Formats: sequence, C-alpha cells, structure tokens
Amino acid sequence: MSVDLGETGEAVRRGTLAANPALSRFSPLPRILTYDDFNTGTNGWTELIGNYDGNGNLSTVDDHMRDFRPPQLSNCTFFDTGTHGALTGTYALKLATRPYVGHTATAIRRLTMARKGLVQLETYFTYKAEATLGTDTANNSFGGVTWDGNLHPSEAQFGALTVATDICGDGGLRYHTVMRYRNTTVDNELDRRWVYPVVPEPTPREHLEGKAKLAYGADFTAPDPADWHAASEPMDMCFNEVPTKVNWHYLRWVIDTEARRNVELQVNTNVLDLRDVPVPAYAERYDSLDNLLNFYFSVRTHSGVRNFLYLDSVLVSVDW
Amino acid sequence: MRHAQTAVLERGERYTGGFATEPYEVAWAGEARFFVQVVDGAPGTTAVLTTQLSPDGLTWADAEDAAPREIDGATAGMVTWRIREFGGWLRLRGEVRGAGDEGPKLRIYLVAKE
Repeated sequence: MSVDLGETGEAVRRGTLAANPALSRFSPLPRILTYDDFNTGTNGWTELIGNYDGNGNLSTVDDHMRDFRPPQLSNCTFFDTGTHGALTGTYALKLATRPYVGHTATAIRRLTMARKGLVQLETYFTYKAEATLGTDTANNSFGGVTWDGNLHPSEAQFGALTVATDICGDGGLRYHTVMRYRNTTVDNELDRRWVYPVVPEPTPREHLEGKAKLAYGADFTAPDPADWHAASEPMDMCFNEVPTKVNWHYLRWVIDTEARRNVELQVNTNVLDLRDVPVPAYAERYDSLDNLLNFYFSVRTHSGVRNFLYLDSVLVSVDW
Repeated sequence: MRHAQTAVLERGERYTGGFATEPYEVAWAGEARFFVQVVDGAPGTTAVLTTQLSPDGLTWADAEDAAPREIDGATAGMVTWRIREFGGWLRLRGEVRGAGDEGPKLRIYLVAKE
C-alpha cells in the first residue's frame, strides 16, 4: 500500500504539484490525506470538548475542557483597514479565545490511521491579539513592550499557539506529539521559543479516577509550566508591529507514527530537528481509540486579551 | 452545496444579570438563526435577548430589525429567531431578570447558512 511511484512517477508527481497554484506552496509527502482550503468551509476542523456522561449532561465535562470555542470562518477584518482576506481567497479558519487569562481555543480534526509511518502537517498561519481601543495611555505598554512606532504592546499580549496530535494504537497505547510556540510566558514576558510537554495531557478518565482536577483556564495540554521544555532558541516571527496586520507564516511538521516520535519542524527559514524530543505515552491503555489520528491547533491567552490563531490552509500528507 | 455551520456559542452557563456572547464571524453567511435553550431553569426568571451586529468585532449595535426576544427562564424550553443582512459579526446581548443567586442555565446556538 505504501506509495512507490518510481523515478518517473515521482517526477510527474512533483511536476503536477508545481503546476497547481493551490498545492505548489506545499511540500507534501507522497500521499495527500487531507487538503483544507477554508474558502470551502471548515473542512472537518471542529471544536474540542471533554467527555460527558450517559445523559449528555455537559456539567460533567471537565472545567478546563468545556469551553474551547467554536472555530470561525474569518475574512480577517480589522477596525482600521477593513477586510484583509486570507493568504488565498477570502476566508481563513480562526480560533479565538475569550478575554480571560489562560483561556484556550482549540480546533481538532479527527482521522484514523490506515498504516503507520511518516505523517506531515503543513499550514500557512498567522496569529494576533485583539486590538485595544480606548484612550488610556497605560495601553501603550504591556509585558515589557512599549509602543515606539515599531514595536507594539499587542505583541506581548499574545500567549501561545500549539499544533499537536492525539494518537492511539498497538492495543491502546496513546500519546500526543506536541509543538508550541510560546510567544510569552504565563507572566507575559516575551519568550518566543518552541516548546514541548514532557508529560501526557490529563484526560477525563484520569479526572473520573480522581487523578486530575483542573480549573477553568488551566492549560489542558500540560498544566504545569515547568513541564514544558524548550525545543529551540528564541525564534523571531513576523507579528508585524500592530494587531491588525496579517503576515502568513509557513509551518511544516513531521512525525513518525511507526516510531512514535517527532521528526522535524520547519517554520519559514528555521528547521528544528525534533528526533530527540521525547513523546510521553500514557502509562495505562485506552479503549475505543484504535488507530486514532487526531490533529489539533490551539491558542492560549496569557494576558486576558482575546488571542487569535488564523489558518489559511492545512495539508496533511503521509508516506504510506 | 450551500455551506452551513452551527456554532455553540454558549454551552450551559448560568446567568444572573447582563451578559454578551463572544464575537462570532459570519461574513460568509447570508442568513442565520439563533436558538436559545433553557437547559436548567431558575424560578421567577426571564431572559431577554437582543441580536447585535458589529463592523469589526469590537464595537456593537443592536440589529435594527430584530426585536429583543424573551424566554421564560423558569423551565426548560427554547426560543428561536432568524436574521439576515447582518454584515460580518454577530453576538447576543442578554439580560436575565428576576434571578437571585442562581439564574437559568442557557445553551445558545448560532446556525448560519450561505
């Protein structure tokens, strides 16, 4: 079943991709699993929620997993210049937090694995904190950033964006691969590093078993900041000065579901070798998740200002 | 096929006074419909709900052709209304009247269609 096109077939594949304006900006592995252009809808990216009881009683959902907000189809409109539009066409998928410290918005896409091997997610994304309108001169400074005509305090009001998976197989062995751009620490200081968690995400079953109880606004991926380790040095991005200018960034992330490992992360010109980044698995086995292959994006505000993550398009490809 | 999307704007919060739902972008949609459901009632309460529009998601005005809707907050039930030509953003401004320490638990859906 794995894709082996041969030399000529591979040349045809590459030429076909290069000639396709929608795909030529991606570098997919041989088989494209999903291609999501948000001009055509949400493409299966939906709100994540924790689990609930047999009566559909949503009061039984864990507090920290009950309000991840519905994704939006956004034309990237701002108060100062109107509609920005997406990288291509009009619409991008937008994740928006509440204006509440620690709040996280999450969109998930749910697949299963037909085989194990390399899996690559590519996206063009951008991130923003909500613009602040008013007359308070205190708004000219935040998180150590003071407006100087170039830098803008809004940049320090953006917390973190995360791309991650939820994967299960081999008799219920479950794990997450996770990469987070931590723009600021939870204390609102610029950090700008890619980080990863060294513990698995707390689950609803662990809560029911009395092992975990997290508050609303807790970091659902790994609640203790000390459990996030650096995968990179500080990496500058193109926030572009103010909260209303959108520059699209390229991200390419490769994992290996055979080896249950991270492989590589590319963000624009930066490439990180992730093969030594550990992937913590759950000690206990999980039922009902055979060949689970979920992808999620999340955005978390550390400032209490609404934070936004915009995705122009997402492409997932595999070497199966 | 026409694009359609249902967003659960609120999933079951209890309200005792004024509130507003989070801004939601619907520039792609030509029509929309709110559903507000009392999931768990609070005696003697009424919820009054007003559709609001915004050009930027920051500044809001009441929709000019959508009268405020009321729903009895005491018992389980649901109210729904439609709206068209709303621009790029929608939200609800709500007020729960008659609540003591505990107001009704509301679930708010927005169903938008191309």
